[in-house]
Amino acid sequence: MAKDSFDRRAFLKGAAATAAAVIGTQVAAVNTPAEGAESSSNGREALPPSRDKVIGRPGSDFMVDVIKATGIDYIASNPGSSFRSLQESIINYGGNKKPEFLTCMHEESSVAMAHGYAKAAGKPMGIIAHGTVGLQHATMAVYNAWCDRVPIMMFAGNFLDADKRRPGVEWYHCVQDPAAIHRDFTKWDDQPVSLQHFAESVMRAYKIATTPPMGPVLITADGDLAEEAVHDEKKLRMPKLTVSIPPQGDSGAVAEAAKMLVAAQAPVVIADRACRSQEGMKRLVELAEALNAPVVDIGGRMNFPTTHYLNRSSDRRQLIGQADVVLLLEVADPWGQFNSISDPHHEYRRLSKPDVKLIHISLGDTLTKSNYQDMQRFMPVDLPISGDAQATFPALIEAVKSAAGMSERSTISARATKLREDYRRMKDRARQEASIGWDVSPCSTARTSAHLWNTIKNEKWCVAVSGMQWNRNLWSATEYYNFIGGSGGSGVGYGAPAAVGAALANRDKGIVTVSIGGDGDLMYAPGVLWTAAHHKIPILMIIHNNRAYHQEVMHLQKMASLHNRRMDTAAIGTTIENPNIDFAKLAQSLGLHGEGPISDPNAIGPALSRALAVVKRGEPALVDIVSQGR
Amino acid sequence: MRFLISLIALLIASAALAQDAPQAGSAERGAATFKKYMCYTCHGTVGQGADRGTGPKLTPPPPPYPAFVLQVRTPRLDMPAYRKDFVSDQELADIYAYLSSIRASAATKDIPLLRFEP
Repeated sequence: MAKDSFDRRAFLKGAAATAAAVIGTQVAAVNTPAEGAESSSNGREALPPSRDKVIGRPGSDFMVDVIKATGIDYIASNPGSSFRSLQESIINYGGNKKPEFLTCMHEESSVAMAHGYAKAAGKPMGIIAHGTVGLQHATMAVYNAWCDRVPIMMFAGNFLDADKRRPGVEWYHCVQDPAAIHRDFTKWDDQPVSLQHFAESVMRAYKIATTPPMGPVLITADGDLAEEAVHDEKKLRMPKLTVSIPPQGDSGAVAEAAKMLVAAQAPVVIADRACRSQEGMKRLVELAEALNAPVVDIGGRMNFPTTHYLNRSSDRRQLIGQADVVLLLEVADPWGQFNSISDPHHEYRRLSKPDVKLIHISLGDTLTKSNYQDMQRFMPVDLPISGDAQATFPALIEAVKSAAGMSERSTISARATKLREDYRRMKDRARQEASIGWDVSPCSTARTSAHLWNTIKNEKWCVAVSGMQWNRNLWSATEYYNFIGGSGGSGVGYGAPAAVGAALANRDKGIVTVSIGGDGDLMYAPGVLWTAAHHKIPILMIIHNNRAYHQEVMHLQKMASLHNRRMDTAAIGTTIENPNIDFAKLAQSLGLHGEGPISDPNAIGPALSRALAVVKRGEPALVDIVSQGR
Repeated sequence: MRFLISLIALLIASAALAQDAPQAGSAERGAATFKKYMCYTCHGTVGQGADRGTGPKLTPPPPPYPAFVLQVRTPRLDMPAYRKDFVSDQELADIYAYLSSIRASAATKDIPLLRFEP
């Protein structure tokens, strides 16, 4: 609303020249400076308003040159007057290509789209937001990206010079320090005061954002700097964009880690945000095979093929209990892998042997702030190696091969038979568990997963978002792009926009993007469906519609039990029923192919096939499946 | 050893606290009660359990009735306790009757969509 009134005022101002006679008194009021504002703060005489003033080369054009020089392909944004000049330059000066302006309906959607995009594309995209209200809307999504160590190039509009602000809304939408609200969960920020400063800060920001551990950065594009003419362009220099080489762990420490792993009787590898590419996965397979060590892929990224006999992700507890040496690779919560605390009675339980030796290759300690507690509980580690996991793989593989003599190689090799049997048992167990409740309505999540696999198994596919483990347990996933991990900070509202962002990145690669998102998650900002339809971003979105915030139900039941009170009230405040949301109609109203609600499990397969046909035409489709809670 | 101690404790407590056989229950009422207390959020609407280990499979077959009562009244791990003041013995018996009435799903080998190999 505020934005509307502001624009209306600007419109009246612009219309004054041709309609002065009609709205004379109104125009006079607008164009008459208030008493005391006759001269600016630096003593300049205020210039009379110019009706034919043209700025052929605004600062925002140069800003677009800078943004183009970073190679950013897209900028997602909900439009705002504090960056109007930059938006206009992106579209008219930049040709609305590289970057292309994406219309979003919430800043949280803009950032979450950029979050999903970065993981699928392997490079950041941009967002622009109002310096105050826009950045406030964006915060939750930025926190998710921070926790997930994902780079995002954020730009904010702002008018720092109070002398030039228009009265009213513009003051509400200006801020002394735009990045303050984000500083606890961004890697770096700056508020440049010149165009040269802007150029250098953008390049610095890109470099910082993409240096592991990665993270979002924020550059304020000052409104006056953007709207005023470029002065003395010859003096402006475009800095060269350089990106850092990720740091490898210390060679001595790597050799020591190799010795420990080779000597272990029951080594285990736990990988979280370890791999950044197919090459990383290939190296991790090579390392695991050199050790014949089972790998638990926690899933922060796609780390290990689900088809490999050493992938034992569903057997984590059993493996941790038996392990004598565990190699952790960029694990966000190391303590939680070896310990548990029951809820709500806080009974502590250790899951591993007390003398298990831990090695952790991580850059986690190099990017820790104090306020938000995403660093997780402190975990003593026997050999902490500060380094990027993927960058360290080659050296570690060589060190393992060097450390293994004939005897060790024989021992390592002898583990293979049992490991293959254990893998087969794990897979059989997953299929058996998936069969339970196969025909039930509401539909089982396992059945939805099996139908989805059957629908996309012959495509190049990416599951951008999914709260269920069945996909990893049942499907054959061998490519880095198959899974892109979760939200990071578990902030609800991530799923739908992140999936659309990933689908945008996958659009030109011929990869079919699917997501299985929650009903509650989508309702945070369903406008992103319109964004997908408007920009023709193909995605097959399944709504795991359990008509509740199910995770919260048991929290209420636990509290009622703890307080010795009635247990049948947990639905209050946790369910999304009465009325039931019709997601198919919602999708249709926003321009998508929408089907559902589907309660008959036999209807899932045909609906997904129809939706895939839509997606392969280059459009988004949504299928609403009324589902079991989990 | 920990498992053995737990098992002994379970057996002693079972004998002390619960009947060996359930009192007469109604599967129809049990289905409604299962829904009323939202047991399905963790265990599924037919007791099939849930993804990511959030709730174990309950049936078929259900656990012995004493063990069922013990777990509901004085649960291990993360499940909240459903005390007699708020969930009556009759309601438990009804839920147990409901769980006992649930037939097994088709075997994995008989479900074509689950035949895929890695």
